[in-house]
Amino acid sequence: MTGHVTTDRVVFDNVSRFYGEVLGVNRVTLSIPPGITSLVGPNGSGKTTLMNLITGLVRPTRGEIQVLGIAASNPAELFKVVGYATQFDSFPRGLTGFEFIYSYLRLFGMSHKDCERTTAFALGRVNLGEAANRKVAGYSKGMRQRIKLAQAIAHNPRVLVLDEPLNGLDPLVRAETIALFREFASEGRHVIVSSHILHEVDSISDQVILLSNGYVVAEGQIKGVRDEMREHPMQVLIRCNRPGALASRVFEQDHVVEVRLHADGGGLLVKTRDADRFYKALNHLAMDGIGIESVAPADDSVNSLYEYLIGGEESTR
Amino acid sequence: MIPQIMQDWMTQIAAVVRLEMKKTFFSKRGIWVYLLALAPAAIYLMYSLTEIANREQRQQLAAAHPVSTAALRSIKTNMKLEEVLERAGEPYARRDFSQFRFGNKGKGKGPPVGQQIVTMQYTDGDSIYSYTFVDGNLVGINQRDRSTIPKDSLIFATVFQFFYLRLAVFFGCVGVFANLFRGEMLDKSLHFYLLTPVRREVLAVGKYLAGLTATVVIFTTSTFLQLAALAWHFSRQEVSEYLNGPGWGHVGAYLGVTAAACVGYGSVFLAVGLLFRNPIVPAAAVLIWESANLYLPATLKKISVIFYLQSLSPVVAPPDADLPSILKLLITSAEPVSTAAAILGLILVTVAVLALAGRQARRLEINYSAD
Repeated sequence: MTGHVTTDRVVFDNVSRFYGEVLGVNRVTLSIPPGITSLVGPNGSGKTTLMNLITGLVRPTRGEIQVLGIAASNPAELFKVVGYATQFDSFPRGLTGFEFIYSYLRLFGMSHKDCERTTAFALGRVNLGEAANRKVAGYSKGMRQRIKLAQAIAHNPRVLVLDEPLNGLDPLVRAETIALFREFASEGRHVIVSSHILHEVDSISDQVILLSNGYVVAEGQIKGVRDEMREHPMQVLIRCNRPGALASRVFEQDHVVEVRLHADGGGLLVKTRDADRFYKALNHLAMDGIGIESVAPADDSVNSLYEYLIGGEESTR
Repeated sequence: MIPQIMQDWMTQIAAVVRLEMKKTFFSKRGIWVYLLALAPAAIYLMYSLTEIANREQRQQLAAAHPVSTAALRSIKTNMKLEEVLERAGEPYARRDFSQFRFGNKGKGKGPPVGQQIVTMQYTDGDSIYSYTFVDGNLVGINQRDRSTIPKDSLIFATVFQFFYLRLAVFFGCVGVFANLFRGEMLDKSLHFYLLTPVRREVLAVGKYLAGLTATVVIFTTSTFLQLAALAWHFSRQEVSEYLNGPGWGHVGAYLGVTAAACVGYGSVFLAVGLLFRNPIVPAAAVLIWESANLYLPATLKKISVIFYLQSLSPVVAPPDADLPSILKLLITSAEPVSTAAAILGLILVTVAVLALAGRQARRLEINYSAD
């Protein structure tokens, strides 16, 4: 445990959860700061269990969870600051979109007028204003995703937990939804997202938590996580005018483990165990007359991290 | 002055009740509860309509074959056929036939012995009197009186306690209360409640009150309709006399007992819905326990809902006359408790079960795949 109550973090202290004999998550210790945090892992890796633990929908078999200093076992306080859009694609029967948001908002103790206003605002934020008076049962998959998001954000939570929130959204709505996450994060709130769509997670996340078989295998900023993986050399793509000369020079560096020339003769791929030292050395080489057009990390993405960490047998999309 | 936290809870309970009400009253799944509740009222209505038709028929027959009640009551067994005809005149229905029996010689192997049988039926407009003559002598009198309010109130008490409370209200409460949590688990929509800042115990109370409102409205309406349907065939004067006597008290007591049954069974089945994945098996166990109440020792009788409901019922229903004598021997009697004690006992049972339900609600987890 961190030893003190951390009021701006979501904290897991050695949390395990078993479903009978089946492992949900095991020995998870995390301290999630504000910003967009992505939970990444294949089916059954423990993403949803982790989210359900944060929101108290399941209780830990062992350990403790605190959300902004509030115990996850205290829903009366927890849901004043937490909003959760689950992966369950089911809704109470017979309600329109407006009635759905409004009815549950009443449980937050708001007055009728406040509920009406807040409901209309939440529906507007997810572009469902025009469909507000239609039954949720008649909504498309994308609309159902958005109404769940509206329900999660309606009470203006400080921690937003979203299980696969981008599933079923068309590209335009997806972009709008991501913009909404960014807006929330920019206000210093937590947005905790799970997704299988790795390139999107890569582009929107401030930090990632990689899960495999119920264990957290890595956490932190994507680049930071990558830097810590010394056993997996980092790959850097360089486009330049003299790739052969550059290859012989960089290979003199003790942290460079492999250099491959591109078949087109216009670049090379370098594998290094110390990216920082490599970039410094590259600056010197560039000044020595080698014309460098571009330098880009080749594997500084969630996908490659994931493959490094848990191997190809559990590949994600 | 109500503390703020209590005010918040009451606001949340009201919000839960509002949300649940639509689901409870207008759900397609709940249609059978209405049918179960209204079935006795429909049966009583048919009974009343039959009684009205029979009464009209008797009055028509009495007009066509007039005879006084006094004359019919003066007829006794062993009178001669002629004597009866002299006193009561021609019946509205008469049947003459011969019956042959074997004689007693040689163990029934004697020659057949003929008997002349005559049956005659009279009515004074209210009752039907049937007389059976053998060889001209009156051997049997059967009097079928019209329904009276005391007689029908005993029928009502029996049906109310043995069918309505133990089956209709019981299973209606199973359908409504056991589904308050379990139904939403199956629909995978319970989590929406659990994602709000509501204490689970408050949620359980809110759902219970919603179920209670629905069942009390449905079943007390049915009780009232049953009483109205049963009284349908009586004259306005008879009904008025009854109501000005014990009638209104009985009506109020029956409505109260119905509501109390919903209070008691509702709490039991709310807890069952939280404790068990399939509420049918525990519901069957509760049904057996409640049905066996008649045979339980006095102390155990008190750990049931039906005991208090029977104590509150205004008319004591007699045990089934067709009950085998061995079972009659097993019936044990516990002193019926006073109204106040019965209400208190029911409240205690309800509060204890609701506390258990609240505790279970607090432990509730969302794991739809396991349900």
